[in-house]
Amino acid sequence: MLKIRNGRDFVGGAAMIAVSLMFIGFGRELDIGNSFQMGPGYFPVMLSLLLIGIGVLIMVQSLVVAVRDEPDAPANWKAYILVILAPVLFGLALSHLGLAPTMFLMVGAVSCASRYAGWRHSIALALFMAISSVVLFTRLLSLPVSAFGPWIPFLGN
Amino acid sequence: MDIFSDLLLGAATAFQPVNLLYGFIGCLLGTAIGVLPGLGPTATIAMLLPITFGLQPESALIMLAGIFYGAQYGGSTTAILINLPGESSSVVTAIDGYQMARNGRAGAALATAALGSFFAGTVATLLLAVAAPPLAAVALKFGPAEYFSLMILGLVASVALASGSLLKAFAMIIFGLLLGSVGTDVESGMQRYIFGIPELYDGLNFVAVSMGIFGICEILRNLENEHERSVGVKKVTGLMLTRDDFRRIRGPVLRGTALGSFLGVLPGGGAMLSSFAAYALEKRISPNRAEFGKGAIEAVAAPESANNAGAQTSFIPMLTLGIPGNPVMALMVGAMIIQGITPGPNVISEEPELFWGMIVSMWSGNLMLVVLNLPLIGLWVRMLAIPYHLLFPAIIGFCCIGAYSINNSAFDIFIMAGFSAVGFALSKLHFEPAPLLLGFILGPMLEENLRRAMLISQGDPTIFVRSPLSLLLLGVAVVVLGLVLAPSISRKRDEAFTE
Repeated sequence: MLKIRNGRDFVGGAAMIAVSLMFIGFGRELDIGNSFQMGPGYFPVMLSLLLIGIGVLIMVQSLVVAVRDEPDAPANWKAYILVILAPVLFGLALSHLGLAPTMFLMVGAVSCASRYAGWRHSIALALFMAISSVVLFTRLLSLPVSAFGPWIPFLGN
Repeated sequence: MDIFSDLLLGAATAFQPVNLLYGFIGCLLGTAIGVLPGLGPTATIAMLLPITFGLQPESALIMLAGIFYGAQYGGSTTAILINLPGESSSVVTAIDGYQMARNGRAGAALATAALGSFFAGTVATLLLAVAAPPLAAVALKFGPAEYFSLMILGLVASVALASGSLLKAFAMIIFGLLLGSVGTDVESGMQRYIFGIPELYDGLNFVAVSMGIFGICEILRNLENEHERSVGVKKVTGLMLTRDDFRRIRGPVLRGTALGSFLGVLPGGGAMLSSFAAYALEKRISPNRAEFGKGAIEAVAAPESANNAGAQTSFIPMLTLGIPGNPVMALMVGAMIIQGITPGPNVISEEPELFWGMIVSMWSGNLMLVVLNLPLIGLWVRMLAIPYHLLFPAIIGFCCIGAYSINNSAFDIFIMAGFSAVGFALSKLHFEPAPLLLGFILGPMLEENLRRAMLISQGDPTIFVRSPLSLLLLGVAVVVLGLVLAPSISRKRDEAFTE
């Protein structure tokens, strides 16, 4: 009976195989051509096949070779979710709220990812970032974003 | 054309007030991020790339280069004073540097690091000026087959010198190459992996990808092991070195410079590997090796010289061949492309002001760093008091707005966020992100040259071994691979990275 001796590598190898299958699957419309006249699909498909091979090797290795593995740091899901999702919300809100409120909200939200943040510090930092980004990016570097967007009454434009 | 007129031309560019200013800003920023742990040169350069769009190409590249070698200086300061290496390249400096500081010789250690770095930087810059033009002249004769083989060598060597499992590093390169194939196919004009999104016609934006993989992902990792930093630093006195100190560091500085200059040229090499190797060498041959680990000045001089030399010479393959050897160089290649310059052997002849200006600026930048670092040491130490929970939201804020400003569209922010998740998942599975970025940058060039070579040879793959130059390059790649797979070396490699 085969036993998985290195769970991390087993998952890693499987992930690489999944990535290659995705590239092959989404690229099945692309013309592969032949090695003389390669079509647009040739390079990605050959690479994907190679990556499947490597993924299989990594998985086989994870069944054969055991490792002494240092345990991971405990997962901090709050931090992951905040840090990954806050930029997405920033992108969605920017054109509606404008730079200043969006930056304020994003920095404020993302600060909560740290266990040392206090609300006074966070609000001060968020204000500082909102003001300095408006000065730096809309005034000095004249990026085409307004400080306040159409969703903000009176100030927005 | 002799080298003096070239250097004069470079001086004319580098000493323009605006370029001096951007060089200064780069060095200052570089030192700052070198001091701050958790913020490295790769992330910073990725973050600042959008800001450089509006600058002259010379100013932009001079500033970005300054950030890179400035970080080597800053990293050693905290390593010595508080045993906290700001950069991976100053990890070994911390061993003896911190001991020196505890013995009351912090000033001497800092001065050694600064002077050693300056000497190494000067030598390596001269080496770059001498070696780059002939190398580029050879590369001008390269056809598609030779270029393909050169890139294969570059990718193989970067795997060999990276830490961790070889198989996984190869997997990352191929993943990167695959990501590079997203976008419009140059030969046929067909769209690949676009999913009907017009923003993807030009491919994934590499600034957004690298900000996600290096900038945001680093924050996620740091938040997992968050510690409250408490810093107590004594006042630094006695920056002067004694005559005996000079006698002791002469040899280590020379050896560190030579070793670093050599290792920096290798793909995947650069600052970190150079400092580790120089420390290991001194530990073996130094007459004072018994003192190592207890505050030996040699153990500060050698790695600090080596990491600066390595940082400097890692520009050689990037400037002459257009092949980036490490993630920072990959970003520099990207910065050139954004400025409308095609990286490669033509840069020297077509953009002489840029090329020689950059070289001279590296020397003047190194000088600025010595002047900047020693008197301002108190300021840098005080920067350490900025707590991380105030730092990282600001970094994320700048990343968001930087990603937005690439194309004035929110799409690149989503790409950045997506790749921060991908990069984090990969690092959890112990895959290294650096080879992925190299593959991603080289992917389109690799594919283009492969297809052109095969077209020329009418589908005959032996073209890669029939050209002697290409055969040589592939042969070196095989040798490098063989060396890494050899059990004795792979054991040494593990030791070097775990030490």
